[in-house]
Amino acid sequence: MAALRDAEFAALQSLLKAPSKDAVRQLCQECFSSPPAAFGPLAQRACPGLAAGPEEAEQLVSALHNLTRHVVYCGLTRAEDILSLFPENFHQNLKNLLTKIILENISVWRNEAQASQISLPRLVDMDWRVDIKTSSDSIIRMAVPTCLLQLKIQEDAALCGNNPVVSALTVELSKETLDTMLEGLGRIRDQLSAVANK
Amino acid sequence: SQQFSALTEVLFRFLTEPKEVERFLAQLSDFATMNKISLGPLKNIVKSILLVPNGALKRNLSSEQVKADFIALGLSEEKASYFAEQWKVNSPTLTRLAVGQTLMINQLIDMEWKFGVTAGSSELEKVGSIFLQLKLVIKKGSQLENVYVELTLPQFYSFLHEMERVKTSLESFS
Repeated sequence: MAALRDAEFAALQSLLKAPSKDAVRQLCQECFSSPPAAFGPLAQRACPGLAAGPEEAEQLVSALHNLTRHVVYCGLTRAEDILSLFPENFHQNLKNLLTKIILENISVWRNEAQASQISLPRLVDMDWRVDIKTSSDSIIRMAVPTCLLQLKIQEDAALCGNNPVVSALTVELSKETLDTMLEGLGRIRDQLSAVANK
Repeated sequence: SQQFSALTEVLFRFLTEPKEVERFLAQLSDFATMNKISLGPLKNIVKSILLVPNGALKRNLSSEQVKADFIALGLSEEKASYFAEQWKVNSPTLTRLAVGQTLMINQLIDMEWKFGVTAGSSELEKVGSIFLQLKLVIKKGSQLENVYVELTLPQFYSFLHEMERVKTSLESFS
């Protein structure tokens, strides 16, 4: 699978006009993290001198985004693999610079991709407290311990953009329920260690 | 007095299984026919009698106190003793039922789980990370609600650790 189309590699050559290597580095990082919807504003902000007009700027941003994402997707880790993505006539120094920048950032980007992948709502925090029920409308004096568990759950990050929705769910468990739950969790742990030891 | 013990038996069977309303009513009507009493007055008497154990349960009365209450209400010593005996035998079950009826907020009813490996995603061709998914069934008011949560492996181990601490805490208060 080709990483980019020829036109996209051509767009990348605009980077030759960049003021410094750090500027290129910064741009790569921003392009990787940016969702396609935000290319326009990013292009205007970050590449004023690099491209002839707004369209070319957006093409550059898009090409950088696709290149970095492609490397992360394929899990390339060696310089040779990344270098081989570029076409024959691509500017040598630019090719080396881009490869170096990508290699520097690859593990951070990989973690970012993994953290933002789709999933069920995720647990972000949990708290508990143990109460003793001393009285109720059905029985005036008793001493029954009970557990209140609060789970903070965050909805799918991709759906929420920059404003993750965190909901708090408070659940009450009796001692019997807790014992059953621990039994289940223990079974999960045993299975996990069986899988890990294979 | 045989009649009384039969009636008491019917009463206690209902108290220990309060959901068996139809069975209770059927047994009452059998009792009425067998002893040639009409059902209406019998039901009224039973209603009044049931007030005593229900009040006793609320206030954690001992069997002597229940017996004293019945005698104060005009029951013979023999019958009151019999009832108090039955009370002593049944009170652990009855107490447990009363505690069970106590308000619980968002009670956890059930937990299902699955875990597996994420093989790939649209961002990463090969992943190989372990995920754990829990489905918690929670009773909100009278309805059941399902809550789905995903945990990473470190989160799971810390969850397990915390739950074990809760268990130790609950046990020390029992």
